[in-house]
Amino acid sequence: MRIATDVGGTFTDLVGYELDGGGRISRLVTHKVDSTPPAFERGVLEATRTVDARAVRFFAHGSTVVINALLSRQGAKTALVTTRGFRDVLEIARGNRPDLFNFAFRKPRPFVPRHLRREIDERTDADGQVIRAPALEGLREIVDDFREEGVEAIAVCLLHAYANDANERAVGAELRRRWPEVSIALSSDICREWREYERTSTTVLSAFVQPVTSRYLDSLASGLRRQGVSVTPFMLQSNGGATTVAAAARNPVSMVESGPASGVLGAIELGSALGERNLATIDIGGTTAKCALVPGLEPRVTTDYFIEKTATEPGYPIKTPVVEIVEIGSGGGSVAALDAGGKLRVGPESAGAVPGPAVYGRGGDRPTTTDAHILTGRIDASNLLGGRIAGDVERARRVFAPLAKTLGVTVGALAAGVLRIANADMATALKLVSIDKGYDPRDFTLVAFGGGGALHAVALGEALRFRKVIVPRNPAVFSAWGMLVTDLRRDFVQTRITPVDDANAPLLAAAFADLERDALDEVGRDSPDVALTCSRHADLRYRGQEHTVKVPFPKDTGAALAGFHEAHERAYSFRLDQAVELVNLHVTVRGALGGAHHPAIAANGSSVEGARTGTRRVDFDDDGHGEAAIYRRAKLPPGAEIAGPAILEEDASTCVLPPGRLARVDDYGHLHLTLAPGTES
Amino acid sequence: MSADAFTKEVIHRALGAVGEEIFAALKRTSMSPIIYETLDCAVGITDARGEVLSQGNGVITFLGTLDAAVRSTLDKFGGDIEPGDLFITNDPYEGGGTHLSDVTLVLPVFHEERLVAFVASKAHWTEVGGMAPGSFTTDSTEVYQEGLQFPLVKLMERGAVNQALIELIRANVRLPDQTLGDLWAGVAANRVGEARVLELFGRYGAATMRDAMDSLLDYGERMVLAELKRLPKGTFTASDSIGGDGLGGGPYHVEAAVTIEDDRFTIDFTGTDPQAAGSINTTRTGMESRARGIFRAITAPHLATNGGMFRPLRILAPDGTLFTARRPAPTSTYWESGGFVIDLVWKALAPHVPDRLPAGSFLSVCATILKSEDPDSGGLSLLVEPLAGGWGAGCGKDGESGQFCPGNGDTYNIPVEVTERRHRVLVRRYGFHTEDGGAGRYRGGKGVVLDYEIDSENAWLTAIFGRNRFPCWGLEGGQDGSPNRIEIHRKGGRIEHHGSVTRLPVARGDVVRLITGTGGGFGDPQERPRTLVAEDLRNGYITERQAREHYGWS
Repeated sequence: MRIATDVGGTFTDLVGYELDGGGRISRLVTHKVDSTPPAFERGVLEATRTVDARAVRFFAHGSTVVINALLSRQGAKTALVTTRGFRDVLEIARGNRPDLFNFAFRKPRPFVPRHLRREIDERTDADGQVIRAPALEGLREIVDDFREEGVEAIAVCLLHAYANDANERAVGAELRRRWPEVSIALSSDICREWREYERTSTTVLSAFVQPVTSRYLDSLASGLRRQGVSVTPFMLQSNGGATTVAAAARNPVSMVESGPASGVLGAIELGSALGERNLATIDIGGTTAKCALVPGLEPRVTTDYFIEKTATEPGYPIKTPVVEIVEIGSGGGSVAALDAGGKLRVGPESAGAVPGPAVYGRGGDRPTTTDAHILTGRIDASNLLGGRIAGDVERARRVFAPLAKTLGVTVGALAAGVLRIANADMATALKLVSIDKGYDPRDFTLVAFGGGGALHAVALGEALRFRKVIVPRNPAVFSAWGMLVTDLRRDFVQTRITPVDDANAPLLAAAFADLERDALDEVGRDSPDVALTCSRHADLRYRGQEHTVKVPFPKDTGAALAGFHEAHERAYSFRLDQAVELVNLHVTVRGALGGAHHPAIAANGSSVEGARTGTRRVDFDDDGHGEAAIYRRAKLPPGAEIAGPAILEEDASTCVLPPGRLARVDDYGHLHLTLAPGTES
Repeated sequence: MSADAFTKEVIHRALGAVGEEIFAALKRTSMSPIIYETLDCAVGITDARGEVLSQGNGVITFLGTLDAAVRSTLDKFGGDIEPGDLFITNDPYEGGGTHLSDVTLVLPVFHEERLVAFVASKAHWTEVGGMAPGSFTTDSTEVYQEGLQFPLVKLMERGAVNQALIELIRANVRLPDQTLGDLWAGVAANRVGEARVLELFGRYGAATMRDAMDSLLDYGERMVLAELKRLPKGTFTASDSIGGDGLGGGPYHVEAAVTIEDDRFTIDFTGTDPQAAGSINTTRTGMESRARGIFRAITAPHLATNGGMFRPLRILAPDGTLFTARRPAPTSTYWESGGFVIDLVWKALAPHVPDRLPAGSFLSVCATILKSEDPDSGGLSLLVEPLAGGWGAGCGKDGESGQFCPGNGDTYNIPVEVTERRHRVLVRRYGFHTEDGGAGRYRGGKGVVLDYEIDSENAWLTAIFGRNRFPCWGLEGGQDGSPNRIEIHRKGGRIEHHGSVTRLPVARGDVVRLITGTGGGFGDPQERPRTLVAEDLRNGYITERQAREHYGWS
C-alpha cells in the first residue's frame, strides 16, 4: 500500500490506498491524530501504527518541522562567516520599511547576533574571478570563539559565491577540518542566486534548522523501521515534489512549505485525469484560504519566498524553490467585527478550532464565517465536524445579534453580508494569482477544496468568471491525497548573467548542460533506482530591467526569446524591441514515483432520489431565499445531475448550489459545477 | 447600515485592491532602478473631482501629489477632457509637482461617456535631461537647468499619441530608451487601473459606485477624527537648522507650530526662511504631501490611503519660503528641505506621542549619483541610490539600524553583488560604524558606512547629505545622533571631507566613503541597564571608550 502523512500544527493526517491485482485502487484509508510538538515524529508514528507496516511500498511525508523551528525560533545556535567588510549585511537587510507610515517601526531581528557574525579576508568579483584566496588562518580564532560560545551550526556565505564557490569550499573544508562535529551550511550548496542579503539569509536560516531537522528525520526513519516499514520515506518539498531523506537533511529549507503545495499536486493529478489543462486552486481551511494557479498543469515555482512577510513586515527571505501560493487570513473560523470607523471586516483574526465558531458551543462568543453559513441555512448544524458535535444555532444567532443591531440590519442580512465580504476577500486572493499575473480566468477551471472550499466554490467561480468549478471527492483531505501522487522533483537555480543571442547560444547551452549534469549526478546518487528527466527554464529580462520572467528555455534560442516576449507581454502588458539577458538558469529534475489515479466510484444501485434527504430554507443572498433540496453527496451515483437550489452534504464539507446552477457527479466522484451564464466579475 | 452597505464594503475592498494592483504593475514594468528598487513612485485612483479613493505608495512623500495633479487637470482643461486623453506634468510649482524628475501621468476614466474617475501615477524618472546626468543636481540655480518641463499637457489626445512630444523627450534626455520605458510603464499602469475601475462601474452602476466612493471618503475622515480625539490638545512648536543649500548658502532656519484640536490638526510653517538659491527648495505641493505623511503617521498609520482622512488637516505657510518656493527656484534636491517638513512636526510632537514618534533620525535621503563607464559598452553608467542610516531611539526601544529615511519607505538598497556587476566599482565595506552619537537609556540605531573603490576612468560623484552640520536630535536626555558625511580617500592617502559634492572627479583607486548618521538617543545613557551596555560592547555597537565616557561603564 501507499501512504502519505501530513503533519500540521494541530493535526497529523494519514491518507493511503491499496492496489488490487490490476493496479487499481481497491481501498482508501484516512486517519487523523493530534500533532505532538515539538516531537512531531511521535504523532506520525502513532498514525502509521494503524496500517500494516510491512505492506507499505511507498511512504510520502510532509512536515511543518522546518517552518515550526523557524517561527518559534527553536533552532540551532547559529553563527555566520562572511567576507571582510560585510558582516552587517544580515542586519541591514534591504533597509526597507513596508509599514510606510509607522515611524515606530521595528525591523526584523537577525537570526545571528553581531558577535557571532565573523569576517575573513577573501574576495571574488562579479565575474567569478578570485581576487583574493581566503586567509584560512583567520578561522582558527573564529572557531575557538564559536566553540566557546556553544555554537551548533555555522553558515558560510561569501560575496559572489554564486558565480564561483572556490573560496567558500575552501572555508567550508577548513571549518570541517578544525571542527568536524559542527553543522555547516555553505551558501553555494543551498542557494546559487545573486543578491547577498537574500543568499545570506537563506543560508543562515538553513543552518539554523539543519540540526533539528536532521534529528527529526533520523528519529522518524528509525521509528518507521522499528514498526517494520522497509521503504525509506520521501519528503515533500516546497517545490511540490518529493525528495529523499538524505537530500532533505542536506537542504532542509527546501521543506519550508511542505504541506500547502500538496493540494496543488492533487489538483494536477485530477486535471490530468479529467483532461483539464488550466487550473486554479483554492484550499479553504479554518483560518486561511490558499490560492494557486496551475497553467498547463505546471505549478508556478519561484524562489521569491519569505517567512513572516506581511503588508507591514519585510520578513526573512528564503531563496528556495516554492510553488507560488497566495494565502489570506480568511477561513471558517474568521471573526467578523467592526473597526473604529464602522467598517465590517472578516478575519484575519480567527476563532480557530478552540473555542471555534459560536455554533460549536465550546465557548466561542464572536461571530464567524462558519456561524454565518449556519444562519443562512447553508450548513446544517447537525453536519458540523462530520456530525461529531451538535451545533448550537441559537448561540450563533445570539452572537450575531449585537452586531446586527449596531448595523441596523437583521441577523439574516448580516450573515449574508459577512459571507459576501469573505467571498470578496477570497476573490481578491484568487485575482492575485490569476488576473494580476496576466491570465484570464475564463481559460481556467477552479478546483475548490479544504473543509470550506465547496461552500464558496460557486461564488468565487462566478466572481472571477472561471470556466467551471470542480469540487473533488473527499475535499477535506484532498491535500494529503496530493502527497500520494507526487513525483520526485528537485530544482536547481543558478545566477549567470548572460545576453541571450546567437553569439552566446553555445555558451548558454554549455552552461545548461553543466548544470543538468551536476543536477542529475546529485539526484542520481540519492535515488539510483528512479528514471530521471530534466527540463530547462530561465529567468530572463530586458537588459536594463531588474525583474525577470521565468520561461521554458528550449535549445532553440529563437524559440526561447519568442516565449519570453510573449510571457513578458502577458505579465506586464508590453514587449520591447531590446536585448534580452538571462539572469538565472533553472533546471528541474523529475522522476516518476508511480502514483495511481483516483479510483472510479460505483453506482451500487444508488440514485439521485435515494441520495436526497429532504429540504430546508437557505439564503442564497443575491440569488434569493427559498427551499433547497438536500443531498448526501456520497450516495450520488456517477453521472448524477443536480439542479440548484440544492445543498450537497458530506463529512466535513458542504457544497452550496444556488438556483440556476448545475452539479454533475463524474466517474471518480468529483463534482463539476456549471456556473450561471453571463456572470460578471 | 442598509443591506446595500455590504455592497459598498465590497466596492471599497475592490478599490483598495486596484490601487495595489496598479502599483505592482508600475514597479514591475519600470526601466529605472529608482522606481523599481527605491519605489520612488505612487499610483492612485480619484473620483471625478480629484478626491483620492485608493493609492499605492512606495514612499510616504507623494500623498498629496496625485489629487493635486488631477485637480490641476480639471482646472486647466475643464470641458476639454475627452475619452482617450492622457495628461503629463512635472511642473514643480503646481499640479502636484515636486521636482522635474517626478513625472505625473493623469488618465481620465469615462463610463457611458461620463467622466467618473481618474487614474494617476507619478514616478521618479532617472533621466529628464538638464545640466547634469541623472537630472537632479546640487548646483542648479534655476529650474531651467534641471531638465525638460512638461507643463501639464496632453501626451495622448483621443487615443492618439502626441508623437512630437515623444520626439522632444527623446531628443532632450541622455538615456532615451530608459526614460521612454518609464513613460510607457506609467501609461500601462494607468491603463490597468482604468480597466479595473470600468469593471467596477460595469458591475455596480454609476449610482452605487458614487455612493460607495463617497462613503469611503467619509470613512477615512471618521477614522482620523476618532484618533484626533485621543491626541493631546494644544500648540506644540519646534525649530531646526538646515546646514546649507549646496551652493554655500545657509544655515537656514525652519520652524513649525502644530495645533491639535478635537476636530482639526493645524500645521503652521510661518517663520521658516525664504527660499534658497540652491536646489534644496520644496514647493507647496511637495510640502503638503510631506505634511500629510507625518499627519497620517500620527493619526492613522495603518489606514488605507483616501482623501477623506486629510479633511481635518490644515496647513499654513506663506509663499516664497524654503517650503513654498516660487518659480523659477531650483528644486531638484527638494527632499533635503522636505525632510524637515516631516521632522519639525515629529520633533514638536515626539515628547507627547512617544508610542508613535521616537527621537530624530538621520533624516536625509543621502542621495548619491556615481557616474562611471559601463562595464560592457563603455558608455555612461549612473549608480543612483539613497542610503540607509540610523533611526532614533524610542520610549522602550533602541533605534533601528540601517533603515532608509522616514521620507522613503518600502525602499530597497541595491545589493553589492548587483552594483559590482553593473558599475565599475568594488565595494570594500558595507556595515555599521561606531562614530559618537545616539547614546541613551535607549540607544539610537546605527548609521552605515559604504565604501566604493573606483575602477573607472572619468568617474565623478554628486551627493547631498543633509544633517551634516546639524545632526539629529535626542529625546529626554538622550544624545543627539551623528552627522551624515562623505569622505574621499584619494589613492595617494589624502582624505577629503564633504557634506555635499557636485560632479567631484574621482580617479581609479580612489575610495568614496559614504557615512550615514546614527539616530538620536532616548533617555539618560547612565540609566541604560548594564547588561545591555555589556551586550552592545560584545556586539561592537559601541567602543570601550564610549562605554566609559557615555555610559559610565567601568
